[in-house]
Amino acid sequence: MDQFFQQLINGLAVGGIYALVALGYTMVYGVLKLINFAHGDLFTIGAYLGMTLFVGMGLAGKAPVLVSVLLVALMVMGLVALLGRLLERAAYRPLRKAGRLSAVVSALGASIFFQNAVMLIWGGKYEVYPETMRPSVILSLFGMGVPLIRLIIIGVSVLLMLALYWFIDRTRTGTAIRAVAIDQSAARLMGINVDRIISLVFCIGPGLGGVAGMMVGLSYGQIDFNMGFSYGLKAFTAAVLGGIGNIPGAMLGGLLLGLIETLGAAYLTIAWKDALSFLVLILILIIRPTGILGERTAEKL
Amino acid sequence: MKRVRFPEGAKIPAVAVLIMIAALLPQVLNQYWIAVCVSVGLGALLSLSLNVILGQAGIFNMGHAAFYAVGAYVTAVLNTRLQIPVLWLLPAAGAAAGLCALLVARPIIHLRGDYLLIVTIGIVEIVRIALINDVGGLTGGANGIFGIARPEIFGVRIRRDIQFYYLIWGAVGLTVLLFSRLNRSRVGRALSCIKEDDIAAEGCGIDVARCKLLAFVLGASWAGMAGTLFAARMTIISPGSFTFWDSVLLFAAVILGGGSQAGVILGAFLVFGLPEIFRDFASARMLIFGLALMVMMVIRPQGILPPGSRRYDTGFLSRRERAAGDGRT
Amino acid sequence: MFQSTTGAGRRLILKKILMSVFVAAALCMLANPAVAGTVRIGLMCPLTGGWASEGQDMRRIISLLADEANKTGGVKGSRIELVVEDDGGDPRTAALAAQKLAAAGVVAVIGTYGSAVTEASQNILDEAGILQIATGSTSVRLTEKGLPYFFRTCPRDDEQGLAAARVIQGLGHKNIAVLHDNSSYSRGLADETRALLDKAKLNIVFFDALTPMERDYSAILTRLRASSPDMVFFTGYYPEAGLLLRQKREMGWNVPMLGCDADNNPDLVKIAGTAAAAGFMFISPPVPADLSTDRGKAFLDAYRAAYKEMPQSVWAVLAGDAFNVLVEALRHAGADSAAAAAYLKTGIGGYAGMTGTFSFDAKGDRVGDLYRLYEVNPEGVFRAISE
Repeated sequence: MDQFFQQLINGLAVGGIYALVALGYTMVYGVLKLINFAHGDLFTIGAYLGMTLFVGMGLAGKAPVLVSVLLVALMVMGLVALLGRLLERAAYRPLRKAGRLSAVVSALGASIFFQNAVMLIWGGKYEVYPETMRPSVILSLFGMGVPLIRLIIIGVSVLLMLALYWFIDRTRTGTAIRAVAIDQSAARLMGINVDRIISLVFCIGPGLGGVAGMMVGLSYGQIDFNMGFSYGLKAFTAAVLGGIGNIPGAMLGGLLLGLIETLGAAYLTIAWKDALSFLVLILILIIRPTGILGERTAEKL
Repeated sequence: MKRVRFPEGAKIPAVAVLIMIAALLPQVLNQYWIAVCVSVGLGALLSLSLNVILGQAGIFNMGHAAFYAVGAYVTAVLNTRLQIPVLWLLPAAGAAAGLCALLVARPIIHLRGDYLLIVTIGIVEIVRIALINDVGGLTGGANGIFGIARPEIFGVRIRRDIQFYYLIWGAVGLTVLLFSRLNRSRVGRALSCIKEDDIAAEGCGIDVARCKLLAFVLGASWAGMAGTLFAARMTIISPGSFTFWDSVLLFAAVILGGGSQAGVILGAFLVFGLPEIFRDFASARMLIFGLALMVMMVIRPQGILPPGSRRYDTGFLSRRERAAGDGRT
Repeated sequence: MFQSTTGAGRRLILKKILMSVFVAAALCMLANPAVAGTVRIGLMCPLTGGWASEGQDMRRIISLLADEANKTGGVKGSRIELVVEDDGGDPRTAALAAQKLAAAGVVAVIGTYGSAVTEASQNILDEAGILQIATGSTSVRLTEKGLPYFFRTCPRDDEQGLAAARVIQGLGHKNIAVLHDNSSYSRGLADETRALLDKAKLNIVFFDALTPMERDYSAILTRLRASSPDMVFFTGYYPEAGLLLRQKREMGWNVPMLGCDADNNPDLVKIAGTAAAAGFMFISPPVPADLSTDRGKAFLDAYRAAYKEMPQSVWAVLAGDAFNVLVEALRHAGADSAAAAAYLKTGIGGYAGMTGTFSFDAKGDRVGDLYRLYEVNPEGVFRAISE
């Protein structure tokens, strides 16, 4: 039983990060119906920028850890958001009227480009976050050590999800975003500046991805130029599991995927755990074709 | 859509010239470029088979390497254990891959595009993990299977790359021929109808699920047979050659090509050949490749050579209309 | 279909794309033949992909050594020209890289790192009659095929399995957990060691694989802990080993952990953190900093002077030694693969390289036990403790 609780917390911690990455994914998808394959690499760039800023600004020891982490998080978010916006201008906007798959291939190209750019700029080696920035507090829960940072990550994911949900659901801009998601030309007729809304979405999504990268760096210490690939794939899976385009769905999907992986590894099989999570995904999609929280849309009727 | 067309008569000499060039090319290329052409040829074969699923039927399949893997492994296992000559295994590899596709696709074929995308990604990952975990003690785990025999045609053992060049590009030619016939058949027409609008297709009395399934199984079994050729060429196969990433590249080749057969072959050239051409950039070669992929897509959003619109013999319609009109008055 | 560009305009764009591709292709195909008075040596290494750092180190080291060799007379008066090709850490790319090197007219190829990657190039180079010296590929079967021109400067996995079993028995642990990562290398070593430990009547309480390239291994560690082993033997690579050590400490679990030669990289300590890495043991050929030969020390100085840091990985240093023995063979036997191969097998005995003395057996394997047991000391430095 003890082991079960331990694994439950392990699973939630893993899932928290998936959820964080999935939020950005689902945000972009919800509005543009674009699977942004470069999201994972924006996540990587966030992780590297975070490291560079921590080291470069020499914050260690000067400011309280919490203040400097928040400061760096904001900077990373801003920089990656800017990059996301540029990416949208250069690689996606010209394709908005073309078939959806053209944009997917352009996104794949962007993903290859970013991944190799990170390798050339920062090098092919594993990099490590400065020790002083990584909160080393370890709590004791159910007789096991749980690093505080894992709990913080779950907390941050939930907070960001709630903030995003509130933003989309309650604010004027959020309403405009929803309108653009439903029908771009109708939104334009209602006086919404569609290009601006899409640019905004491409700031929020990548910005969230960048912060997620930084959180992974803080939590696990180790980063490398390849890391976006597997996190991107997992986050995409999580987003689909929860119902892609749906913000609480991304959260739910992320946590669920983390739990499936961890409990699968704990009680069934370690070597097959990724196969197991894909299998569960397929089964869920067979039962609910648009994911757990996805709306059941009768198509094109 | 306006489109400049060659007169029907000019097409045949053009194709003949292309075939001539393809046949003579190995005489002027060095070993390395022949090897590149062989790997592009395999890529072209796979992209053509994916084109039936993705380009013609419009099913988002990003897990094509799974079926390729099934074909290659069936070939490798049967060849190394039972010493069955490699080329005889083509039907077995095709059937096995097709069967897998049928089993997998049946419950999911009704899913919407993006959901199908992640499911096919899931399938290719499940297959890769199964191969790595040495399922049934047959696949050799991460080491894969080695010692696959070279193929033999009419007593000639195919060993050198130049021989593989003719074998594989011959297969590409045959594929183009067969698939263009398919495209003109009843099923081909039904597929393009489904791709444009599946509700309308259903309304026209087309069994959408069945047609999609047919395209899926056909494309998959073709990929399985390409797997046989791959196994024969490499003589060693391992799970590393059948990843999600390989599926992604095939996907990119089809979309980049635009969906016509010539376009897809060109797409395969770009996706599998460009990284080789960019070799002089050393560490930066994949960076340039990624950039090229983006730029090409932005310049030609519809792909390099999208299929032309179908031309039907509409003469008889107007004749019939006239006849009907006559009857009414 | 989606855009209403006119047909003529589309054709023009298409023509432009095609033309530029063909021009680029044509430019690349004009393979420049070797100039008289030079000897071409190929280096095949992962410059891109997951092992890029290994390959970039290999390239650095060998270009340094090549400059040095050219200053001391090249090969019988001919200048050595290095031709570097990227294998991407991927078998298919490697097959093409090998073809490209063969077409460039190299007399020998050095490389590469991963066993499966090397394997994809072996037949191509053998058929072309080109000498190959692998540098990080430890899989047993590479030298069991009887290829006359294939050599390697690194030890084989079965030697490492023996060393691992010896160390584990020597430490006196009874219940052993074996964790691998399902890669060709890692699985092979794990199987090898398990068989030896079974024979020695030790208890294998856990045997399974983690998924490499992930960040969170707490689920596996929790399960490992439940099997209550006296020691964990991990046969995977250093990034995962570092994370395991770190997360093991975070869980407050103090079981000793033994690693293998793939953990021989100082980044392990960086990833794990000094406190978590302290006490971790691994078996490996000597780390670069431990090169005790005169040749090795001189090389370290030269490397530091050129690149302002220490070489990271012993495998890249072994690539450097592959270059050294190759030049030695070429200097004696002339720029001819067959003669050089014969010299490597019979004549080179006792050649002093950077990682020790060299001789090769009839299979092309390096003779001699390279393995030592290392421990991470409390300052986070690798320290040899035996053999």
